[in-house]
Amino acid sequence: MAIPSLNLLLQSILSGIFIGGMYAMTGLGLGLAWGLLRQINLAHFGFVFLSAYLCYQMSTVGGIDPLLTVFVLPPAFFCVGVAMQWVLSRFRISAFNSLLVTFGVTVMIESGIQYVWTADFRKMQSVYAEEKFVVGGLFVPLPEFLTLAVAVALSFAIWAAMRFTDLGKAMRAMAEDAPIAAAFGINERGLSLALSGICVALASVAGICFALTFTLTPTQIFSWVGVVFAVVMLGGLGSALGPLVSGIVIGVSEAVAMALFAPSWAPIVSFSLLILMLLFRPGKA
Amino acid sequence: MLEVENLRVAYGAATALWDVSLKVGKGELVCVVGPNGAGKTTLIGTLAGLNRASSGRMVLDGNDVTRLAPHRFCAAGIAIVPESRRLFTGMTVLENLELGSFLPAARERRRETLEQVCELFPAVRQKLAMPAGSLSGGQQQMVAIGRALMARPRLLLLDEPSLGLAPSIVMDMFDSIRRINAEGLTVLLVEQNVSMAMALATRAYVLEEGRIVMDGSAGDLIRRPEIRKAYLGLEEG
Ligand SMILES: Nc1ncnc2c1ncn2[C@@H]1O[C@H](COP(=O)(O)OP(=O)(O)O)[C@@H](O)[C@H]1O
Ligand SMILES: [Mg+2]
Repeated sequence: MAIPSLNLLLQSILSGIFIGGMYAMTGLGLGLAWGLLRQINLAHFGFVFLSAYLCYQMSTVGGIDPLLTVFVLPPAFFCVGVAMQWVLSRFRISAFNSLLVTFGVTVMIESGIQYVWTADFRKMQSVYAEEKFVVGGLFVPLPEFLTLAVAVALSFAIWAAMRFTDLGKAMRAMAEDAPIAAAFGINERGLSLALSGICVALASVAGICFALTFTLTPTQIFSWVGVVFAVVMLGGLGSALGPLVSGIVIGVSEAVAMALFAPSWAPIVSFSLLILMLLFRPGKA
Repeated sequence: MLEVENLRVAYGAATALWDVSLKVGKGELVCVVGPNGAGKTTLIGTLAGLNRASSGRMVLDGNDVTRLAPHRFCAAGIAIVPESRRLFTGMTVLENLELGSFLPAARERRRETLEQVCELFPAVRQKLAMPAGSLSGGQQQMVAIGRALMARPRLLLLDEPSLGLAPSIVMDMFDSIRRINAEGLTVLLVEQNVSMAMALATRAYVLEEGRIVMDGSAGDLIRRPEIRKAYLGLEEG
């Protein structure tokens, strides 16, 4: 074990916080749909990557500012989410079967991406990509910083909406006892469609952040599934702030483990945390 | 106000209600009594949109509500206090009450109704910020009734409000129901606690194995020997 310098360690922790923001952004919609709609949506990862590639395409080929794609992609993916929930409820697909069906969707999205964009690495060239600033001797890359800021803002916005608005309360009530919620006038069907739309729109936002930050390659989709599942389950299903906290905890733990030991330690850390959590909080997940 | 005609409800192949007919007049407090498994919860649930009728009809103030979507029953003027309360236990008492007034018409008068509920159940006012699941059984029942009142219904359905409560609280609970009715709200109450329910109600129906087997004024029914024997454990004489 090599002892890194303090500065290197701090830089690692900072990059852990940033990757935690990416985990949180990716896990937010997944955990909400899982907890509130009993929908285990593996297609979430497919949607994140599809959105990332579309952002890449619009920015690199179409020449528009990648940040402007937020006005196009999330609304479009909202509609996809609505359609997906419509199909899942129309055919009464259980939580477990939704896992299988949406896994299939992700595989199809991956093949589609391979076909259109090939398996080559794609890196979006944008004005933001190489931008960094220095704070207290530590490098802060702009795309990562933006991702974290968006994850924090959206997590808190959704938390506040769930807590303080009638529609948010209705969603929590529906998740706990849908028939009684309906008896008080809550339209379960409509609300589920809207919520599913929001969750897939969040996947799209995560995709835009992804395209800003990372080099894209289709097979990467599956390497994100494990750690983001760990983040979502650790943070609490249906929780808005949970993934932010657990994302940063896991991100920092991984980064520190990588700095102290070796990069291959990162997944060991996140899954150890997940397994410990499942053992000691069995009621929660 | 409420007319139920030949209502039949089934769970798959098992029929729970066989052609049940009953009437509740405006301002009345009507009770349906019957043993465990008679179909009381099924009846209340169907009237609140939780179960679907396979035949027959339910008419509220001249509107046929039989085929309404489940979430339209509340707007039609019906609110339910379900069996074993079914509060949203992960949410606060106040949030439960707010959800009772989810629909726009009730939301407009939320403050006013909340004040009325707190006057009716002073113990609830102290608990507004608590998680609903942390309350005692009696307090949870008050919140369940309060949640239904928040919807400002024209017909209040109560499914065994005395279930699982200490005897001292049961008296208070029935007294609150009497006061709610005295203020003009029409109530349909389902109970196994026959003596208490009959004392409160103007009229009563007896439901057994999914069929109405007797009906009449509560005072009249409670004197019948078969009721005294079956439900009060009293022999004649
Ligand atoms: N969800 C259900 N699925 C199948 N059968 C049910 C269900 N709920 C009630 N039943 C049956 O319907 C009948 C009436 O039950 P219920 O309405 O709960 O009676 P009560 O409230 O008078 O005790 C019983 O025979 C019961 O077993
Ligand atoms: Mg019952």
